[in-house]
Amino acid sequence: MNGRRFAISLCLLVVTELLAIAAANADETLTLGVFAYRPDHVLQERYQPLTDYLSRETGITIRLEVLNQENMSRAIAANRLDIFLTNPSHFLLIRSERSLTGVLATLVRRSGESSTASLGGVVFTRAGRDDIEHLADLHDKTIASPGVHFLGGYQTQVLELLDAGIDIRRVNLIRFLGTHDRVVRSVLSGDADVGFIRTSILEQLAQADPDLFTRVKVLNRQRLSGFPYVVSTRLYPEWPLVALPHVNERVVRRIASALFAIEPEDDVAMAVGIAGFSPPADYQAVEHLARTLRVPPYDQVPQLTWVDALHQYRLWVFTILVLVMLLFTSSLWLARSKRQLAAEQRRLRQLIRGWPQPALIIQDGRFSDTNRASVDLLRYRSSESLIGKDLSVFSPEYQPDGQFSRHKLTHMLTRVSSGQVEQCEWVLNRSDSTEVWVELTMAPVHTQDEREAFILCSLYDITRRKRAEQRQRLAASVFEYAREAIFITDNHGMVIDVNDAYLAITGRPRNQAIGRLPPLPVDEGSGIFASARAQGFWSGEFASRRYDGMSITLSVTVSSVLGEHSDVSHFVGIFSDISRLKEQERKLRIMAHYDSLTGMPNRVLFADRLHQAMALARRQNGQLAVVYIDLDKFKPVNDAFGHDAGDQLLVAIAARMRSELREEDTLARIGGDEFAAIVTNIQEESALESLLGRMLARVAEPVWVADHSLEVSASIGYTLFPQPEDLDGDQLLRQADQAMYQAKHRGRNRYVRFSAPTG
Amino acid sequence: MQRREFLGLSIAAGLSAAGLPGCSDSGPLRFGIHPWVGYEPLYLADDFNWLPPTVGLKPGTSAKESMEGLLSGALDGAALTLDEVIRVRSRGLELVVVAVADVSAGADVLMVKPSIPELSALKGQRIAVELEGVSGIMLMEILEVAGLGQNDVVKVDLPVSRHAEAWARGEVDASVCYEPTASVIENAGGVRLFDSSDIPETIFDVLAVTREAADRNARAVRDLVIGHFTGLQHLVRSMHDSVYRIATRQRISPDEVRAALANVMLPDLAANQRYLSAAGPIEAMAKSLSRLMLSEGMIDQNPGIQSLSDPSFLPARVP
Repeated sequence: MNGRRFAISLCLLVVTELLAIAAANADETLTLGVFAYRPDHVLQERYQPLTDYLSRETGITIRLEVLNQENMSRAIAANRLDIFLTNPSHFLLIRSERSLTGVLATLVRRSGESSTASLGGVVFTRAGRDDIEHLADLHDKTIASPGVHFLGGYQTQVLELLDAGIDIRRVNLIRFLGTHDRVVRSVLSGDADVGFIRTSILEQLAQADPDLFTRVKVLNRQRLSGFPYVVSTRLYPEWPLVALPHVNERVVRRIASALFAIEPEDDVAMAVGIAGFSPPADYQAVEHLARTLRVPPYDQVPQLTWVDALHQYRLWVFTILVLVMLLFTSSLWLARSKRQLAAEQRRLRQLIRGWPQPALIIQDGRFSDTNRASVDLLRYRSSESLIGKDLSVFSPEYQPDGQFSRHKLTHMLTRVSSGQVEQCEWVLNRSDSTEVWVELTMAPVHTQDEREAFILCSLYDITRRKRAEQRQRLAASVFEYAREAIFITDNHGMVIDVNDAYLAITGRPRNQAIGRLPPLPVDEGSGIFASARAQGFWSGEFASRRYDGMSITLSVTVSSVLGEHSDVSHFVGIFSDISRLKEQERKLRIMAHYDSLTGMPNRVLFADRLHQAMALARRQNGQLAVVYIDLDKFKPVNDAFGHDAGDQLLVAIAARMRSELREEDTLARIGGDEFAAIVTNIQEESALESLLGRMLARVAEPVWVADHSLEVSASIGYTLFPQPEDLDGDQLLRQADQAMYQAKHRGRNRYVRFSAPTG
Repeated sequence: MQRREFLGLSIAAGLSAAGLPGCSDSGPLRFGIHPWVGYEPLYLADDFNWLPPTVGLKPGTSAKESMEGLLSGALDGAALTLDEVIRVRSRGLELVVVAVADVSAGADVLMVKPSIPELSALKGQRIAVELEGVSGIMLMEILEVAGLGQNDVVKVDLPVSRHAEAWARGEVDASVCYEPTASVIENAGGVRLFDSSDIPETIFDVLAVTREAADRNARAVRDLVIGHFTGLQHLVRSMHDSVYRIATRQRISPDEVRAALANVMLPDLAANQRYLSAAGPIEAMAKSLSRLMLSEGMIDQNPGIQSLSDPSFLPARVP
């Protein structure tokens, strides 16, 4: 039962299948789509004979559908078409969308007796447009074209113009009109300057309009022998006839064989205006064109990998890499150099700023940088007070050498700018108006070829040195011009230096003075240096001799000079010649103790000597006498012969009396005609009396004075010492005076011993 | 684009300033060329202005002209067949093969009167041949294949370009020639009896330059080779365009161009690398050719094939 059922079912299935195939064969209808590159009715009319021929030859009903590109693409997407005939560009687009393969055949177009399987583009304008002769004239013209996906109506021309250097897609106004016929009309009517159409259009239109070629002008015309149409561009394969994948392979074979069977002379070929179909052409030229122009389906920029780019541009990549590396290396090197330079500049700046000595940078004659020390030197608060000014601002009008500060500075800067180093002493004014002496050094710190002159100016404060110099000069002049002799010795007392006064006083020439001892006192000699060393100085007066032998008296002070280690390094001595002073002193002393007329001791010296003689007598138990002498009747002589005569008389008599006395005795003039004498060592009073007698006799002798012989006498009183009571000199002289009065009283010309009054 | 050019300029300037060997200013490379389908890529490149100013094509009418130009110093290089290169070398001018333009695969033919049915029938016939050219070599090969001696035929020494006239006047019974002359003779009733496809990889058409130009003006030589391959690329890729352009220049029909192209192999870059490699096919062929030519007295001395081919001018790729 089951077996039978299965057999029946199988039979039914087979019968149904067979019926289905038969039905399919019987009412098989294919649709041939033809791209409407010209008006629909033209194509409808032209391709109907081909459709009829194919239907007849294959036994399959084939329907013709004329479509524009958009509708054709849509119909293909909906699988409404089975076979289609379109231009290569459109085919590429469809192929990329549908992943189609097989082109069945390539159209071979006919033109009269010749035929071609190639198509190209025509660039034309109206005849008479003299402004358009070459492709280069197109750059600002309005262009009419059937559409972007037209190979001969757009793409070929665009490429040709690109090669001529014009990218019309960027610069031109392009009108897309849909069909070639409209393009021709548009150009002829003047709506567009230039038209793009495919080859064969003009020839086809010329069949209906024989003088068309007189009304158009074809640009960039290619002379290609054997090619039946006018053409402006290079050539590409003609239209492909393509079967869609869903079409039965058997059917495709039949259609293909029908197509290839068409001979140029056949009626169908004549009717369609073709020479037949050739085996599929190679469409890679069209692909290349689409890629070059980046039109669909190649409008996407291909993904370029790094490896591709590296492969294609390896020389460039290598070169650029090398350049980049060079750039990088040089940048590194530059950066390093820059850092070094900056560090060096910082160091230099730090060097100047931190240098303890005043230093300034001069640029164009003015300070451009200073350091703290220079600000301090000039006693300003900050470097801003100095920057931008020149040195003369801080200088007095004249420098100590008498030059005008500004002029001197200008000359110096000129010389320094030419490469020299300048050094001089300079006086600056501080902010507090005090002066400061500096040693100024200017040196160029720029090279000759540098435009800007940089000068380093360093200042060294020499004020203290200058003051020391002044003091030294003063000291030297004191040494030089002092009236006192000054000498300097070494620590042994040997003279190192002397001044002119030393030479004048000692009378020694300089070479006899240096290296020898200075004048020294006879008793102490070099010992005075030991005293000076011990006490710091020695001073004293002593007699010396000049170099010429003359004796002089010197007043000398020697001081020790301490050296660095507080030991005596030198001696300085000052002395003056006090010989005249000494002489003066001696004279004064004589004047004080001696009588100026007779040269005998006066009362003062007499008292002194008496005092000494009394002391000696007391010590030796000796005896002395004090004698008082007064001349008798002396006044009349004075009156009669004048004071000169009187004085001569006194001198003569004094000398006589002195000659009677011994050397150790003293005779003094006490008053006008009064004398006193001290007679020492009296053994016997009689001897004294005999002496006194001789004296009286000598006085009484006549004296020749003023041409006169005069005679005077003397009255003498005397007293002896010691006496029982203790007496002083005055008392003794008074006793002698009283005794002299006794002698006068007793008749003059006699001597009387003092005797104490009784009573 | 402009940027790249600028960069290129600046780099070139930098390199030349750095004293690197760049292109010398010895003027453009003067390159002799005459009509032959294998040389069409260079003509195409010239038509489309793909040749830089460093290369100056000097179109002539025959290989003989090119050889004379080379020997007189008027040319720095020329498109020649390999045997022509050997001839020039044997006369003391060192030529270097820098590219193989085509390998004859039927392009060189023996056209005979229909009365001559086979090669052995050539004996005693008057054969037009350009002894100084590739046709002379072809004849030698033919005689060898035919088993005939050099003196078994009457050689009429004529430039190939004049074979058609001689044929038309009935002065010769056979012609060793190539396109377009072959087609002309065929149209005049000639029959193809033998062609170079019977002796494959024997007849090379090459681009050759003097050793001096190769050394001194290497950049121009490279430009020449790139130009050739750019033209070749167009020829292959846009055959639909090229056939018409070639037909126009050679004054034949596009179909004849297709026929001519069918009889030559146009080696691409990779094939050129193989041909030009040291001790590769070119040098090997040159060796046997020069031996043959020496023995036949076509050349006086062995030119030596040391560094005859130089693949260093081939670009890595075609732009």
